Amino acid sequence: MNAILDKLFLNTTKFIAIAVLLIVAWIFSTLIEHSMVSLEAFGFSFVTESKWAPNLEKFGALPAIYGSVVSTFLAMLLAIPIAIGIAIFLSELAPPKLKSLVGVSIELLAAIPSVIYGMWGLFYFVPIIRDIFGGIGISMLTAGIVLSIMILPFMAAVTRDAMNTTPDILKESAYALGGTRWDIIKDIVIPYAKAGIIGSFILALGRAIGETMAVTFVMGNVHKISLDLTAPATSIPVTLANEFTEADTDLYYSSLFELSLILLIISFTIISVAKFYFLRRKRSF
Amino acid sequence: MATIVNIKEEKALVVKDFEFTYASADTPSIKKLDMPVAKNSITALIGPSGCGKTTLLRSFNRMHDLYPGNRYDGKILFKEKNILGPKIDLINLRIQIGMIFQKPTAFPMSIFDNVAYGMKLQGIKNKTELYDRVEKALRDAAIWKEVKDRLKHDANGLSGGQQQRLCIARAIAVEPEVLLFDEPTSALDPISTAGIEELIIELRERVSIVIVTHNMQQAARVSDYTGFMYLGELIELGRTEELFVTPKEKLTEEYITGKFG
Repeated sequence: MNAILDKLFLNTTKFIAIAVLLIVAWIFSTLIEHSMVSLEAFGFSFVTESKWAPNLEKFGALPAIYGSVVSTFLAMLLAIPIAIGIAIFLSELAPPKLKSLVGVSIELLAAIPSVIYGMWGLFYFVPIIRDIFGGIGISMLTAGIVLSIMILPFMAAVTRDAMNTTPDILKESAYALGGTRWDIIKDIVIPYAKAGIIGSFILALGRAIGETMAVTFVMGNVHKISLDLTAPATSIPVTLANEFTEADTDLYYSSLFELSLILLIISFTIISVAKFYFLRRKRSF
Repeated sequence: MATIVNIKEEKALVVKDFEFTYASADTPSIKKLDMPVAKNSITALIGPSGCGKTTLLRSFNRMHDLYPGNRYDGKILFKEKNILGPKIDLINLRIQIGMIFQKPTAFPMSIFDNVAYGMKLQGIKNKTELYDRVEKALRDAAIWKEVKDRLKHDANGLSGGQQQRLCIARAIAVEPEVLLFDEPTSALDPISTAGIEELIIELRERVSIVIVTHNMQQAARVSDYTGFMYLGELIELGRTEELFVTPKEKLTEEYITGKFG
């Protein structure tokens, strides 16, 4: 009897685990199926064409891809140094009480739903950007800033966790040679945790590139590639969020699906690189 | 009170009325301890787990200061100065009193950079001087032949025994006066252990050594003096051959004959 129960338990959990794989495959196949009309109509030129004109039935994904890449790049540029600073403080410098207080606050920040970052950005950052840089305030730059604030807590928390994996005995050895705190941070902790830190950055990048609600409010959904960061722009998720309800032709509808397929592939690639290359388990002390 | 043999040599360290209390503890882990450490000899500290031998060792280079709230009382004299005093420059102290840990701790850098690290911390930049001193340290640690063709390789590619000798090379490269060994062979196989022990004995000519070991045979093999600690107190310090053959204290005798511990 026990053997049967055991087997039942094994098979149930196995089935549930496999179901996850099936769902991923299902989503992928749905996206491909719905993208077919657009894939056949435009082929590879879909990703190189910069004109997006639903009324002319012309769809080019380049502005959305460009917007996704640039806004994410801006966000990373702003967030990385601050995240490293917070992580160094939390893992190496802060007194224990402050460590847990700030640590918990950062994890709370990471729990804020992204739509709130979007609303806050619209009412708070848009006017500031408008006052400082001119333009209408709804722009690539605003999206980059709001995204950076959104991914910052996650990045700081994961970077801190990576730094915390540095064995005490390794740090003590460096102190025992007459190192200062700064020596230990730059020569021991950061090199030791490097792979984990880069991995966490890439995971954050994956979140940023697929982020929808935080940027939909502040980016503008304008399909135009502009080198001016204060000009409105769009990204793949922003386009999807804004335009699905308006997709009145098969080609329009299918083009949006192809956009989402591109986003999915980008995200998968990023997460895979992070997981398999950087976040492998290290030997432990 | 403790039976402490009269030491004829000069003293590298003198512990006086020393107490140590961990941040989380109400009572001291080391109580009213007096102990001399002879210069250019090897002093082993033995005793059951939790007796305070590692705690005492880590007081000699103020390692406890890395964690807030720990308290030292009494004195530890090094070159006639109390190293527990508030004005002591910890960085300078740790350059003069080096430490080797229970597990090999190769830094995430090349073999050369590992050995050069302490010198670089002191601001030595001259390439030829660095190279000469790295080579000398590696020769003195009896590992030069094994690593001379791969100095640029990652130090974590070495075996455990090699890494521990690398750590010793790293520690002696800054020419300390005292070296503290905290169970340096507990993670090593018997052959590597024998190599490290031989090395420790050779180092005696240049540095004063304190070694904590859980292995009484090791203490008997390598040390000149042995201190037996129990429940935070030094019970007996004697010349090693005398302490193991004719212990003065009953507790020491019971411990070395395996009646407890």
